Amino acid sequence: MILEPQKRISKKGLTVWRISGAMHSFFAFLVSGAAIALTIIFDWPGWIIGIAVLTFLLYAYLFIMLLPTIRWKRWRYEVRENEIELQHGVFIIKRTLVPMIRVQHVDTQQGPILRKYQLATITVSTAATVHEIPALEMDEAEELRFFISKLARVADEDV
Amino acid sequence: MSEPKRLHPIAAVINCIKQLKELIIPFLVFVVFGSKNGLFQLFASLGVIVLVLIIGILTWLRFTYRLEDGELRIEYGVFVRKKRYIPFERIQSLDLSEGILQRPFGLVKVKIETAGSSGEAEAVLTAISKSQATIIQQALSFAKDGTSIDEQEVVKDEKETILYQITPKELFLLASTSGGVGVVISAVIAFIFQFEEIIPYEKVFNGLENFISSGVLVVSLLVFIGFLVAWAAALIGTMLKYAGFTVKKNEDDFIITRGLLEKRQLTIPLHRIQAIRISENLIRQPLGLSTVYIESAGGSATDTESTREMLVPIAKRNVITTILSPYLPEYNLETSILSAPRRSLKRYLFRGFVYMLPIMAVSVLFFRPWGYLSLLIVIPAMFLSYLKFMDAGWKVDHQQLTLRYRTIIRNTIFMKRNRIQSLVMKESYFQNKNKLASIEATVMSGSGGTGGRVVDLEKKDVEGIYEWYSYTK
Repeated sequence: MILEPQKRISKKGLTVWRISGAMHSFFAFLVSGAAIALTIIFDWPGWIIGIAVLTFLLYAYLFIMLLPTIRWKRWRYEVRENEIELQHGVFIIKRTLVPMIRVQHVDTQQGPILRKYQLATITVSTAATVHEIPALEMDEAEELRFFISKLARVADEDV
Repeated sequence: MSEPKRLHPIAAVINCIKQLKELIIPFLVFVVFGSKNGLFQLFASLGVIVLVLIIGILTWLRFTYRLEDGELRIEYGVFVRKKRYIPFERIQSLDLSEGILQRPFGLVKVKIETAGSSGEAEAVLTAISKSQATIIQQALSFAKDGTSIDEQEVVKDEKETILYQITPKELFLLASTSGGVGVVISAVIAFIFQFEEIIPYEKVFNGLENFISSGVLVVSLLVFIGFLVAWAAALIGTMLKYAGFTVKKNEDDFIITRGLLEKRQLTIPLHRIQAIRISENLIRQPLGLSTVYIESAGGSATDTESTREMLVPIAKRNVITTILSPYLPEYNLETSILSAPRRSLKRYLFRGFVYMLPIMAVSVLFFRPWGYLSLLIVIPAMFLSYLKFMDAGWKVDHQQLTLRYRTIIRNTIFMKRNRIQSLVMKESYFQNKNKLASIEATVMSGSGGTGGRVVDLEKKDVEGIYEWYSYTK
């Protein structure tokens, strides 16, 4: 068994995912609400209300509680001298290796929620693929970006 | 050659024709749905045509190119004048082709590709004389190697060796087993539907009824003839496209030439080859025939999302090895591939079944009683899944990773470790329980990526590949 990468992403990332989960759930809430309203207005059978409420609760539970937790627990990364290793995935665990010499450029980016929590996402691009490490502490992300771009500059082969 | 040069005047004609071709549909719409006043339409369309001609000629007049200071300098534009300077070192390849209009005048179309240009070429010289094209080629190779032009010429003549040349028999095999038939049939169907309103279907159908009553035999004969014609059309199309397929190698490029009516020449620098792919479709595989493609970075793209170029159109597996191994010594094409473990068969079959489930469910629910027939899909689906299982495989030898998998066509992709851009190992909950895992490797192709993905291999094997790829030992 090969060791899994060690570093975790910021704990605040979990909060951010919960918030965006809550935002989704708001739409689920609207849909269920509409279903309930229609049921009352048109006198549809009562079990529709039950299902709508259940669906909404399930959705909210999944996207606010369960999935972000699993996702956060699973997310690991490690940036070494010669390669980047990522591990993520909720149902399917994906482990990715990106050699440093294949890295073409590194970006950091921030949405409004991430900014509020002083977090940033790092995007690593090779000639063919793009990889993301979400929700890192901002200064850590900056540091990592410098680190990767410095190491990536070393090798310059034909793609 | 520093004074600005124009393209051959035929370029203006080619451009005009291209413009007019694009105008055909709006033009048809205009004529069909336009006002009743025929005179206005006539003048308007004449006006448009004249405009296109004038612009075509102006474009040609304004377009100049020259070689200066180690750059290809192009200036063009009618209303907005543009200059594009491309340094020779940035040019990845020249793609020469001869269209029907270029051929009578001994001209070529030169496409200039740089690494950044994805899909569309960086610059296109629509029609220049062959001698001009040679001058550009020489200037390029001079800039790249620093050798003088004459020397280069001598070296080239000596070193150019023919790797592969298609025989008429192979050409026929290639055309008759290609998937082009399906394309032609669907094109014919699409074409018929286009003219739905024009063709008097009722009359045709009345005629058809008579036909049918005159015997099933006649109808099936007609259908058969229809398919035969479509097949023949596809056959001829493919044969024209790949006639005279030749692969040459000079110092460090593969040069591929093909085509009868439209000649194409393609240069693939060896150091830009990212991977080799051998594909076998369902018809060719039982005959032991396969096709070799090269995945290369940048360069002339025939299809936009990847630069997959055919290297050997059709050949037996062992012949491929004898042809290619002297020229691509770093690739081991005869590697013995290790299969997926027996226990992953049930996962392959299950997946095949699950994918078919929605189709079957819908047809059984909504199209009774004929929908039950859709249950028969299970048989080919299971068969395909079984084949997928049989074909899944991998091998690591030294610096090479070989992955074999089947979508419908069986693909074997050979990748060097230092060409793989990233490697992903995947395992789901159920895979983990069965000690299975999937592997996915990506190499660069054109401006994007391509690669191989094999599911449900022995987990230990996948971890082995992962460790092999890892730079941290």
